[in-house]
Amino acid sequence: MDLNKILLVLKREYLTRVRTKAFILSTLLTPLVFIAFLAIVVFVTISDNEVKKTVGVIDETGVLFERLIEIDSLRYQDVSYLSIDTVRANVLAGEIDGYVILSNSFIDSSESPTLVYGGSGGLSFIDSIQDNLREVVREERLSRSQVSPEVREIFESRPRLKSVKLTEEGEEEDNAVFGAAFGFILGLLIFIGVFGYGALLMRGVIEEKTNRIVEVIASSIKPIELMLGKLFGILALAVTQFGVWIASYIGLSILAAPVAAMIVEAQMRNLPEEARSAAASEAFDPSALEQFIVEPSIFLYFFLFFFIGFLIYAGIFAAIGSAVDSEQDTQQFMLPVMAPIMIGYFLNLRVMENPDSTISTIASLFPLTAPINMISRIAATEVPFWQIGLSLLLMIGTFAGLMWLAAKIYRVGILMYGKKPSYKELAKWIKQG
Amino acid sequence: MVIIKVENVTKAFGSNIAVNDVSFEVEKGRIFGLLGPNGAGKTTTIRMINNILAPDSGQITINGHIASPLTQKMIGYMPEERGLYKKMKVGEQLLYLTQLKGMKTSEAKKAIDFWLERFEASDWKKKELGELSKGMSQKIQFIATIAHNPDIYIFDEPFSGLDPINSETLKEVIIELKNQGKTILFSTHRMEQVEQMCDDICLFNRGKAVLQGSLREVKASFGENTINLEFEGDGSFLDKLTDVRINNRSTNFAEIRVLNGQSMQDILKLAMEHAEIHKFERVQPSLNEIFISTVGEDNIKNEEA
Repeated sequence: MDLNKILLVLKREYLTRVRTKAFILSTLLTPLVFIAFLAIVVFVTISDNEVKKTVGVIDETGVLFERLIEIDSLRYQDVSYLSIDTVRANVLAGEIDGYVILSNSFIDSSESPTLVYGGSGGLSFIDSIQDNLREVVREERLSRSQVSPEVREIFESRPRLKSVKLTEEGEEEDNAVFGAAFGFILGLLIFIGVFGYGALLMRGVIEEKTNRIVEVIASSIKPIELMLGKLFGILALAVTQFGVWIASYIGLSILAAPVAAMIVEAQMRNLPEEARSAAASEAFDPSALEQFIVEPSIFLYFFLFFFIGFLIYAGIFAAIGSAVDSEQDTQQFMLPVMAPIMIGYFLNLRVMENPDSTISTIASLFPLTAPINMISRIAATEVPFWQIGLSLLLMIGTFAGLMWLAAKIYRVGILMYGKKPSYKELAKWIKQG
Repeated sequence: MVIIKVENVTKAFGSNIAVNDVSFEVEKGRIFGLLGPNGAGKTTTIRMINNILAPDSGQITINGHIASPLTQKMIGYMPEERGLYKKMKVGEQLLYLTQLKGMKTSEAKKAIDFWLERFEASDWKKKELGELSKGMSQKIQFIATIAHNPDIYIFDEPFSGLDPINSETLKEVIIELKNQGKTILFSTHRMEQVEQMCDDICLFNRGKAVLQGSLREVKASFGENTINLEFEGDGSFLDKLTDVRINNRSTNFAEIRVLNGQSMQDILKLAMEHAEIHKFERVQPSLNEIFISTVGEDNIKNEEA
């Protein structure tokens, strides 16, 4: 084999495609869409409390309104001095968004007060008022029962569950949920990459065949050189695209937390002094974004598994392309390629739910599903090194075997026109080669 | 000097023997015509010479080397079904194809510019092939075949589908290359081009080389057994002739091949009785006649056997 010629083919495949509008747009727009998505999430979380709704309170107890003001001075208005009809008129006129009558029985017997509101309510609005009322009533009852400050503290404390992961290196912060989701996305990306770029390769082979240029090329280089050049050219294209995506992900994940913190801080400054502490406790915590930062080694594994995974399937895609005259004719041959890759995709859901189960382990070792499922496991859990090694070995062996078969079909196929071959004929071609 | 040597080559696809024990030699600096009906094995033979297919048995040598990636560089090949990348710019496309033939980038660029100039196609360099007309892309295809300056040029059915202007240009280029001492092999079933251009021929039928040699010798070996007859009047007398084969028949002309020792004088007499004779000429058979009679007889023999 002549490496220079393979490189020439590779260069052509890569350069003619990397310059196309479709490639540039899909490569650059995807991170932008991702940024936009993140920004929307942050924006929505931050600006959740921005639309201030006001609630009129007719306080018959004489104590609850004070406590409500302490929680949120902007939301609650004392309307006890107005007649009920006026209050209702105000609600209908939109001057206040609703009113609530707090009677003594609310404190004494837990009778539920009624929130009367006009216009749009909104679940979070109603929920937060309910929360506020619960809190003030509980505090009022506690103080009326004259419970000790210790008991009060018990009520005010809100214990949370914190999780840390134990590894050889010691304890480390870990987010199992995020890891599993991230692994699923990486597996999905490999699925899309193998399938999308495999199909691109196949279309390229069909194009050369229907253009009839393949015979000119076959008079200059060996079919296997052409096939390998095309295959690695497309692979380079895929790696370029994923590289841009991953680089922008790494950049974003590192920048997200500090940038969000700045935005939150700027917003805080706009709030009146007394509302800040209240807003701060409710508002979105920018440091939560730090969990999106992942270990760089995971991306190395990603590329490794994509690389070999693509090579396993690409040979078959190229062979199918060589065997037919048009894209419509590919369907009967697609099933054997589609089946394992789809199984890998569906198993990926199971892997995400339970990365250490037997089925996950098998799926991540079986060479046709390993490219998708092993990367999901690596992201989600601690995979023993021997499993990663075994999986890679099996994949490389499968790649070599399938490539050998594919090259034989390809050699004969690219010069065959006319009738769509059957599987029996493909077997004959393999024997011929 | 023999530059292409095909020795006892056989190639089968399954049960179909496409090329059956074929041998011929192409001399350097000559134009060699590969003739034969469709399916005779011409394209398969050409593909083996180009090292696209490997023979099942026998051997092909180019310039003394067995067909291999090395010999591929010595050949410029234009297949019967022509094609290029539609979405690639003409200049880049030619550079790619020329580099694949092993030419260095700087040399390749020079050669491409030279030929684009020669074909008055320099303006198309930056255009995608898909934007060009059929005639224009045919010119680009010639350039792709010849730009790497090989010693041997192989054209499979080069004149099929060419417009008359490109047909003429290609003929000129072939003669020009021959004058530079290059060797040209082409296959065709258009006999007038072979008569005009070829030095040597090899006639294929059913996978076998049934007739070969220099054009002059081949024609001479058939003898002067053909009549070119020009006449005026009712031509129906021609139907009464026996032991002849009539080619190129029109209202006032017929090319009559005399078979089985039929007397030419009798034919002349019969003709004079029915029409006014303008010309009665005894000639060597046309290549067309040679083609039809050789292939026809060969096929009859095969059917009997």
